[in-house]
Amino acid sequence: MSLAAEAFVSQMAAAEPWPENATLYQPLREDQILLSDCASSLAVQAYLRMCGLPVRVCCRANAEYMSPSGKVPFIHVGNQVVSELGPIVQFTKAKGHSLSDGLDDVQRAEMKAYMELVNNMLLTAELYIQWCDDTTSSEITRPRYSSPYSWPLNHILAYQKQWEVRRKMNAIGWAGKTLEQVYEDVSQCCQALSQRLGTQPYFFNKQPTELDALVFGHLFTILTTRLTSDELSEKIKSYSNLLSFCRRIEQTYFEEQDRDGQSGTSQLSKGPSLI
Amino acid sequence: MAAPLQLYCWRGDHGLPSVDADCLTVLAYAKFAGAPLKVHKITNPWRSPTGILPALKTREEGSFSQPSKIIIQLRKQKYNADYDLSAKECADTLAFVSLLEEKLLPALIYTHWVDAKNYVDVTRRWYAENIPFPLNFLLPNRIHGRQLERLRLVRGDPTLEPGEQLEKELYHDALECMTLLSQRLGSQKFFFGDSPSSLDAYVFGHLAPLLKIKLPNGKLQQHLNSLDNLRQFCTNILVLYFPSESREAPAKKVSNHADGGDFDNEPHKRRNQILSVLFAVGAMLGYAFLSGIITIKHTPARLEEPHVDEEEEEED
Repeated sequence: MSLAAEAFVSQMAAAEPWPENATLYQPLREDQILLSDCASSLAVQAYLRMCGLPVRVCCRANAEYMSPSGKVPFIHVGNQVVSELGPIVQFTKAKGHSLSDGLDDVQRAEMKAYMELVNNMLLTAELYIQWCDDTTSSEITRPRYSSPYSWPLNHILAYQKQWEVRRKMNAIGWAGKTLEQVYEDVSQCCQALSQRLGTQPYFFNKQPTELDALVFGHLFTILTTRLTSDELSEKIKSYSNLLSFCRRIEQTYFEEQDRDGQSGTSQLSKGPSLI
Repeated sequence: MAAPLQLYCWRGDHGLPSVDADCLTVLAYAKFAGAPLKVHKITNPWRSPTGILPALKTREEGSFSQPSKIIIQLRKQKYNADYDLSAKECADTLAFVSLLEEKLLPALIYTHWVDAKNYVDVTRRWYAENIPFPLNFLLPNRIHGRQLERLRLVRGDPTLEPGEQLEKELYHDALECMTLLSQRLGSQKFFFGDSPSSLDAYVFGHLAPLLKIKLPNGKLQQHLNSLDNLRQFCTNILVLYFPSESREAPAKKVSNHADGGDFDNEPHKRRNQILSVLFAVGAMLGYAFLSGIITIKHTPARLEEPHVDEEEEEED
């Protein structure tokens, strides 16, 4: 989202309360959504639930093309459309809902830094495994990504996307990495997160922040998604505090809230559970 | 003791040990860790063992070019600046390096390589003057193209054009990143207390060029200058770990100012004038010769064999 639009949106946003009919759009859950998109979408859902803002999840095959930035997920609130976690956090902040107000300057700097760590390493690793590992891309990624389209569009779009991701990996110096090195990076990232979390319930003690939502979204998705090999989820499983962290957020924000509210929307909102 | 490691990096200028962020990071880390490197400061990336700069050449394991890999190599050789850090501080290092790469680096690339005025006036000029002929005509444009491409891919927007909109977004992130770093640093000397670590090397590598290289379009510099502790942090490292460079700085600055003035390249100008006159004369003569206004005739040959004329006509 552009800055001018952002400023405008936040002005508009401040005036209106959060509506009941807010909607989050993502690709089709069963057949289409990919690991990385699913993780980002779950992070946004977790964040909104932590804020106590109700949102209805809506799956659309063309969600990627509906989004203003070309990335999923995006939310439709009142007459505004905002995509990706960072802008959504700013948007809710303008409406007076924020999770990081209680932090001091140093903590806020650390929170932002760890969020970038997740984006820089976990998200990039997910993209790498999806699109650059030949087995995963031919068996899972390309068929899923192109499932809504018919021949020959399905091949064209899938290869176009793969080409784009590979060029990006090239530009950021990941193209030369082997799958082993990528797993090693994921492991390093998880170790850092695990160290930072320590024995606390959330990253900044008692209160969850957007960092918790982001980490939960990625780790939970990796843990509950089946890929061609289990190695990625095995890396996370060796950190017991991260596992119980995921379990804790799932229980507090997904299961309990669902029990309180109507169960209809909840089943749609999150995939398999973690037990 | 094994043969010393050899490090290839861009030459320094503007009071910096090197003009390139990655090279500065590696140099600073090596100083912090006390690694005895044999440093080659060159201006021709083709002479580096990997084709890009910086590059670390080790005897056993070949050459490396990414700063993170170079640092890992140095660590393997027991030159570790992060030895005293706790596990949590190591985690923080990883996080803040990611923050730098995601938020600050794109804006730095933009300000040095894409912003038209900065690129033409400062970056391209420095590289064109320092890279040896004939690469100096080729490389700056190639690096420019590659960096723009990189920005496009990182932003995920293939139609991205350099302009106010892009600049605003990138600078917004970068200013926020610098503010966060400044808050994290607080009143400490280094990021983790009194001794420098790899995070300090990364931050120094990224911020020092911004502080020292004067750019015509200097929004990032203005912001950095307003953050006293970060500015002090970079100056401190320069003075403590690169004393020879910071001493050279004033002298160089004077010459730079002279360069920036109007009677700029007075010696170069004269040379250029002579060269261009020679070139023009050459071109005119060449044209005259080719179109037959002037012909060179080998008189002795002509006297003997008349068929030489035919050959000349064919050449025409």
